[in-house]
Amino acid sequence: MSQPKEIFVRLDRCVGCHTCNIACTVEHSKSKNLFESISEHPTPKNRVYVEWVPTDHKVPVLCRHCEDAPCMHACISGAISRTEEGVVITNSDKCIGCWTCVMVCPYGVIGRHLETHKAYRCDRCPDLKTPACVDACPTQALVYRTVEAFSGDVRQDAARKMISEERR
Amino acid sequence: MVAKQTRYVIIGASAAGMAAAETIRKLDSKGSITALSKEQDMPYFRPMIPFMITGKKKFSEMMLIGQGPYQSANINVRLNSTVEAVHTTDQTISIKSGEELPYDKLLIATGSRPHIPPIAGIEAEGVFALRTLSDARAMALRAERTKHAVMLGGGLLNLKTAFALLERGLEVTLIIQSPEVLSQLMEPNDATLIRDALIRAGLRMITGCSASRILSDANGVNGVLLDDGREVVCQMVCIGKGVRPNVDFLGQSDIKVDQGVVADRFTACNTLNVFAAGDVAVTFDSTTGERIVTGLWTNAVEMGHCAGRNMAGQPTEYTGTLGILNATQVADVPFVSMGIVHTSGTDYETYVASAPKAYRKLVFTPDGAKLVGALFVGDISRAGLYRYLIREGRAVKGIKSFIIRRQLHYGHILKETI
Ligand SMILES: Cc1cc2nc3c(=O)[nH]c(=O)nc-3n(C[C@H](O)[C@H](O)[C@H](O)COP(=O)(O)OP(=O)(O)OC[C@H]3O[C@@H](n4cnc5c(N)ncnc54)[C@H](O)[C@@H]3O)c2cc1C
Ligand code: SF4
Ligand code: SF4
Repeated sequence: MSQPKEIFVRLDRCVGCHTCNIACTVEHSKSKNLFESISEHPTPKNRVYVEWVPTDHKVPVLCRHCEDAPCMHACISGAISRTEEGVVITNSDKCIGCWTCVMVCPYGVIGRHLETHKAYRCDRCPDLKTPACVDACPTQALVYRTVEAFSGDVRQDAARKMISEERR
Repeated sequence: MVAKQTRYVIIGASAAGMAAAETIRKLDSKGSITALSKEQDMPYFRPMIPFMITGKKKFSEMMLIGQGPYQSANINVRLNSTVEAVHTTDQTISIKSGEELPYDKLLIATGSRPHIPPIAGIEAEGVFALRTLSDARAMALRAERTKHAVMLGGGLLNLKTAFALLERGLEVTLIIQSPEVLSQLMEPNDATLIRDALIRAGLRMITGCSASRILSDANGVNGVLLDDGREVVCQMVCIGKGVRPNVDFLGQSDIKVDQGVVADRFTACNTLNVFAAGDVAVTFDSTTGERIVTGLWTNAVEMGHCAGRNMAGQPTEYTGTLGILNATQVADVPFVSMGIVHTSGTDYETYVASAPKAYRKLVFTPDGAKLVGALFVGDISRAGLYRYLIREGRAVKGIKSFIIRRQLHYGHILKETI
């Protein structure tokens, strides 16, 4: 079996341009077109967040598809499951909008869709070979690799390590 | 030598029991796993039963096995199997049918049942306390000939039930002793936005009152007499006065019970090869270390996983739960309540911010070093970050101002950790 790929963040490269946000939103629209997506209902939602930390660090944050995914075990309706590729997904047909997953995700990456009353998050773009955000990032701050290829490090620690490297 | 197959027996086939079964199966592919339930239905997501009252979901949409993380095969679930006794010396349990079932490892995961206060007339037809799918079905039937339902108690369960009944077009009146709804999860001043939302949604409320008698005739309930002498005409009454652990069947055994089944840090009971998890177990609060009995799906699942590991021979310490760990949406207002949120008369360092559509309260230790509780009403985004901090019990240092202003994001925590 080939190693599942993951999205990694290279913090030293992120310039905070938010191109990933737009690509993500468009990919999660019905039309998959920037101009048409703006007027769609329900409003397409972005699932990657570019945060700003003083003094001047940009930190893209997105679902880590955690190994023992707290959100999946906490969901009170069975809406969250893991695919064979290791992607943790929310089935919106099953979601009842109780927000338990929002309460337990330690990364704060589950959004609430107010129009549909459903939870949403990164699904690693099941229709694409490379997730839209990774493809769109002009500085290659987001990369899509296997853990091995990236650093040989465990997934939870990947981002942390990158920051310490950056500080060195 | 061929190792003997371990016989795992689990009393209770719900959150805790099925989570344990799932974990055991991952660690031990050979042992036999039997989960017993006294209910007639295959395991289901208990918090979804209000949808049986509204009719918005079918039973098949609430089933647990095959959904979310519950994917393991080869777990033998036995329904209509009430366990009446546990014999720890010969390691067997007695089932109502007369059968004696031997175990090598036993998990007690019998959950809890509604607490029914001693109100005169409470045994009348049409009085409910929602806990099982059967209760929900019976309520749905009664709702067909109900115009007005009275809810006794203003906790989360009764609010969820009230909304299901409102959705069916019933008139619903909530009768609560405390000055505000949800007194277990917040203080009266914290509940204003929620109360307003309930009223907008059409719920009627009578506070500072309790029922002294339930009135009935040949058709069942026809009213409730309040302690101030008022009489409320209704055709259905729902009791929401908290839950009690299901421990009665352990009366004759030497398994230690103190409110619930007492489990140590490794989810083990005082007798050999017996474990406990979920609503029935006495667990502990991860922030205060206090012994607590909870009624939380999240705790039941986590503790069930942990017990499963211990039963399958991987000693694992349970990290505990927060006594309060609730998220939900009432009418159009979402809220999250976590950890210590009742602060009146205490010296916790507390920050409150109130806006027309959002309210928050952040509670720190008296020395201000650690976050111990958070309540968000209206805006609950990124609540998980705050739960993480409460649970870790780490000094918040440089990120405290972001916490208080509710601007915290993962970037802050990342920078703080390293
Ligand atoms: C309407 C509703 C909404 C809820 N919403 C939430 C929510 O949003 N968030 C949250 O955290 N929690 C919620 N809860 C609480 C949550 O459902 C419980 O905490 C959880 O189900 C506890 O799981 P458990 O496995 O410990 O026990 P239970 O779910 O109570 O299951 C007990 C099992 O034991 C079996 N059993 C009991 N006695 C015996 C016996 N003597 N012999 C054989 N079998 C027996 C039963 O048949 C059942 O299979 C809600 C509950 C209800 C009713
Ligand atoms: S939503 Fe949060 S908890 Fe769930 S897998 Fe993603 S990062 Fe982990
Ligand atoms: S909001 Fe939806 S996905 Fe999240 S826990 Fe509730 S039902 Fe599950």
